This record gives sequence, C-alpha cells and structure tokens, in this order.
Amino acid sequence: MRNFSYYLKLSLHNIKRAPLPYALTLMILSIGLGVFFSNATLYYWMNRDPLPEQSPMLFFPRINSVQQACDSCLTPLRVLSYKDVQKLSNSAIPSAQAGMFQSGGYARLPNTQHGPTPVTIRVTQRDFFTLFNAPFLHGQTWADNEARMELILHYNAALKFFGRTDVLGQQLLLDGELYTIVGVLDNWQMLPKLYDVNNGLAITPVEEIYLPWETAYNLGIKSNSTTQSRDSRNYNENFAVNGREGEFYQAQFWVKLDTPAQQAAYRQFMDNLVASEKEAGRHPRPNGNLLHNMLDIAEAFNERNRQLDAFAVVSVLFLLVCLFNASHLSLNRYMASQFEFSLRRALGASRLQLQGQLLTDVLVNGMLAFVLALLFALLMLLLINQLLPATSALNNWQPSLILLMFAMALLASYLVTLYPAWRASFSPLNQQLKA
Amino acid sequence: MIHITQLNKVFRTELIETQALHNINLSVAEGEFVALTGPSGSGKSTLLNILGTLESYDSGDYQLDGQSVTGMTDSALSALRNEKIGFIFQSFNLIKDFSIYDNIELPLRYRGFSSAERKQRVEQALERVGLAGRRSYLPGQLSGGQQQRVAIARALAGSPRILLADEPTGNLDSLMARQVMELLEQLNREGCTILMVTHDPEQARRAGRHVQIVDGMLSDATVYQPLAARAVNQ
Repeated sequence: MRNFSYYLKLSLHNIKRAPLPYALTLMILSIGLGVFFSNATLYYWMNRDPLPEQSPMLFFPRINSVQQACDSCLTPLRVLSYKDVQKLSNSAIPSAQAGMFQSGGYARLPNTQHGPTPVTIRVTQRDFFTLFNAPFLHGQTWADNEARMELILHYNAALKFFGRTDVLGQQLLLDGELYTIVGVLDNWQMLPKLYDVNNGLAITPVEEIYLPWETAYNLGIKSNSTTQSRDSRNYNENFAVNGREGEFYQAQFWVKLDTPAQQAAYRQFMDNLVASEKEAGRHPRPNGNLLHNMLDIAEAFNERNRQLDAFAVVSVLFLLVCLFNASHLSLNRYMASQFEFSLRRALGASRLQLQGQLLTDVLVNGMLAFVLALLFALLMLLLINQLLPATSALNNWQPSLILLMFAMALLASYLVTLYPAWRASFSPLNQQLKA
Repeated sequence: MIHITQLNKVFRTELIETQALHNINLSVAEGEFVALTGPSGSGKSTLLNILGTLESYDSGDYQLDGQSVTGMTDSALSALRNEKIGFIFQSFNLIKDFSIYDNIELPLRYRGFSSAERKQRVEQALERVGLAGRRSYLPGQLSGGQQQRVAIARALAGSPRILLADEPTGNLDSLMARQVMELLEQLNREGCTILMVTHDPEQARRAGRHVQIVDGMLSDATVYQPLAARAVNQ
C-alpha cells in the first residue's frame, strides 16, 4: 500500500510532466473505447437472453396453412390465423401456451374530462404471463381464455391513468368499451422482446394494456403490425366471424415445452395435425412445419439487426486503430522517460517494482479513460438513438455491463502501456546513464 | 571488496566484434580509493559499468563483498546495487523535476525503509555534503558542483560498501571539480571504498591507487600508493 501511494504519486507527476501528450493519448483511447462501448451496449441488449431460466423451453410453431395450393411454397407465413392458433392449442403437451398479437388504441378513465391517451395493447391469452415471467403486482391473470371485459395493466399504465398501482376493480375506457381491471403487472420489461421479433418489434417496450384474445376478436380489434389476408372477405366488417373463420393472418403463438421429449412430441403433434388437415383437404401446401426456439427466433425471421453487426465490426476496427495510435503516443511518452527508468533500475529498483509502477499507470489511465469513454459512449448512444429511434430502449447500462466496460478500459490501457513501457524499462542501463 | 578474475567483454554488432575488456584481473580492498584511467574507448567505463552490474560480461568472475555476481538474477542484481553500490555519474543523473530531497530518497524507496528512516538518512547525507539547507530545491536551482554533491549524497544515503564514480568532475569547472574531489577524499578518509574513472592525471594522482587500462587490458604500470603513505604526504 505504501508503494502504491508512491507509484500513484509518480503516475500523477508523470501526467503533469507532459500534460498535452498525455491528454492526447487519453483522448484517442477514450474515443475508441467510447465508440466501442456504445456499440457494446446495443449489442448486449440486442443479443442477451431476456429469460435465461425459461428461454430454452419457449417455442414458436409455424404451419404452412395457407389455403391456396402452391407446391413450391415451403415456408409458412410469419403470422398465424385464428384457426391455426385454435388447432395448435388443441395439444396438451405444452405446459403453457398463448396466442397473441400487438395492437393499439386510445384509453381514458370513465367520467373524466381528460381526453383519450394512445396506448399499446397486447391481445393475448391467460398463459402469456407464465410464458414470459411477467410478474403481477396486484391481481392475477384471467381465469380462462374466454371472452371477458377485463384487462390487465402494466405498472406504467396504472401510474399513467390512476397515479397508483392498486387499481383492481377500477374501470377503464378503451376505444369506447368499458373494461374492469383484474390485474396490474409489476414494472416489468423484456429486452429484447423476443415474442415480437416476427413483427420487427424486438426493441420496443412491453405493452401497456393486455386484453383477452377472444374479446379482441369479438370487438374486431386487429393487429397494428404484420397482418395478411389470403381470401376475398371484407375484414372491416363482422370481424367476430370473418376474423375467426377467414384467412386473416396476424397472430403469434408461443408454447412452453419443458423437456426434449415434449419438444419431440410436439413436433410429432404438428406433423399429425398437418396430416389430418391434408386428409380433410384443408392443407393444400407442402408440410412446412417449423418450431423455433426463442433464442433462434431472430435468425428464423431474418430479423437480426445487420446494421448493428456492421457497426460492431466497424467499432472494433476503430478501437484497434485508436489503440495503435494511443500506443504510438504512449511510446513517445515512455521513451522520453527512458532515462528515469534506467536511473531507477541503476539505483536498485527491480523490474518487479518498475512493473508495479507501470501497473499503477495502467490503473490511472484505465480509470480516466473509462470515465471519458462513458461520456463519449453516452453521446454516441444519443446520436444513434436520433438516427435509429428504435434503439432508444437500449440506452441504459446495467452494473454488469459497466463492470465489463471497466475491465475493457483497463485492458485497453494495459495494451497501450505494455509495449512502450516494456521498451522503456528494459533498455540497456548504461546507455541512458552515460553523459 | 572487489575481486575480478579473467574478465572478458565483447561488443558484437552484425558486422564486427570488439573485445572491450580482455582478461581483466583486479582487486580492490576495503577502504581503497582507486582511480581508473585510460584513453577514450579503452574500456574503463565498460569496466566500471560491469563493476556496478549495469552491464553483463561474457566470461570470468566478479566477486563483490565476497559474493559472486556471475549468474545472479535481475532482481538479485537490483538488490545488490541498491544495498552495496553507490553511483556517481559524470552528468549527475538527477531527476530534474524532483526536489533534492526526493532525488536523494529515490534508492531508499526501493530498499523498503520506513518514512522516518528515509528522512533521517536523507538529512544525514545532505549534512555530509554540505547541502542541508537545500532539501526542497530543484536540481536546476543548484550549480553543477552542488548537483554533483547531491548525487554523492544520493549515493551515500544507502550506506553502500563501495562508491563507483564515472568521471565525477568531467562536467565541472576546476573550482567545483576540486571541491568534489575534496569531498570524495574526505569520504575515503572516513572509510568509504571508492573506484573512480577519470581522464585527469592530477585527479588520478590524488587517489590511493592508480590503475590504467589500455585497449581493454590493464596496464602493467599500475601505481600503488598505500593509504598510510598518502596520509603522511598530505
């Protein structure tokens, strides 16, 4: 500790000795790290597993159920119809399953002068909250999957409309319909929102209001993202019937298959389902059954953010260039101190003691570079958020990410210091000390 | 104190090999003041560097204070330099932006002395070289002679077994050179072993023994003047 305080004093002394070259080195290192950190932040949020304890068991089944014959059409649509969900729901293999889609609407409190507020809605079934570990703060999910004028609010929505969360039994007007609140979720988020990848909505916040699936069909509530109709029905009329019976594709369907045996059984179930549909003449297209695991879903729907991948490569290359340049500047600084290194060694400092000094330099540089790099990263993230508004949900740092970035700053500082310091401290002693 | 036998040093480049030192045999007893002279490029500084363990040698043996230096690890050599050798360089080699106190304290830092002991040793060393009131000065605020006295104080602070001086007056005018030489003589009278490289025959004569090196070999014409005789002459 006594040595460390001396080494620290020397590090600060060295900075004061040549502040401009030092500031330049630090600035280059910080810019490189800042760009890298901003990308790492996006990359971390985009590629993390939001439900590590559950994700290996969550699957999205797809069947090639479009009623127009097409022998070369091997891949199912990105969304399912009401009937698809109904048929797939007939299996008892999954421990949980839910059909769903995203919608939007306007909500307000009844008997108030306030105008309606736009809200995001997830139309879904009772198992949704089990599937994605959405915790309830008050109340619970619906008793079954039947239609009912009951909704579940997200924590933020409860605060937005009522200013509090304990609002069970309260009523809310949504697009002119009166609903009773039966549950309030805790302040839950899921990033990336992998259940919505097929709509390209993986980096948007979870929805504010949750409506029963059957109720939405009764009321003609449709998805506000991917929809496809494959027949000539008018889906703006009598959606309660047309939406259920017609070829109107808008739904996602998630199942929880706890074991590999259940997963194999479910695949068999899907094959059997298609075979029986074919027998009944309702499945003219080839069997294109797919069962995607949640962690593969972005690849499966080709929704992996290639811009982010490209940015990752560029930011790594940029960091390397910055490291190289900072190392060059650092080399000049250390070579200027070569005499002092040699003198210290001549007067009895061991290489280990000099390494202690260098590691203190690394620590000081690493900490300063880390703080500056965080500032640069923040600016970069704000810029990226401006250019790509969809990334705004990714603009935050968790302690583990900050720790990782700090380790990265120390490593970069070590790399920048290592070679120059090695060159300076291991040069022949007699040359430097001669007049 | 110093005992070297059959010591050889060769400098190699891609094109040539230069035999810097050739079969050197030299002993220096405790309390001696030895002057090492010779023309430029004769190998005297190389020999001094080897004696100070700042440079390696190719063959032969070197014993310092009864301890063989041959094959010592880098950290053992560092400890040996720190504890047993005090260096005085021609160009003083003080750190310009460190105070006199910090410069003298430098080798003591690596010795692991407590803060109080470092302070005591630095004060004593400053007292010995007559610069007690200049502890907070920077080297640039002192004359060349005073800077060399600071360097001597730094060399003395660790109580070394031997002082190695490489042309200690080479950068000084005659008055300051005389003062530094008087200081070295005084230290020698107090029992300090000194080995000094010099060009100046006058200074060489003031040492107890004069050893000449020519073309990497010790000349036969070494002059030995016993300390007692020298004391009588003075």
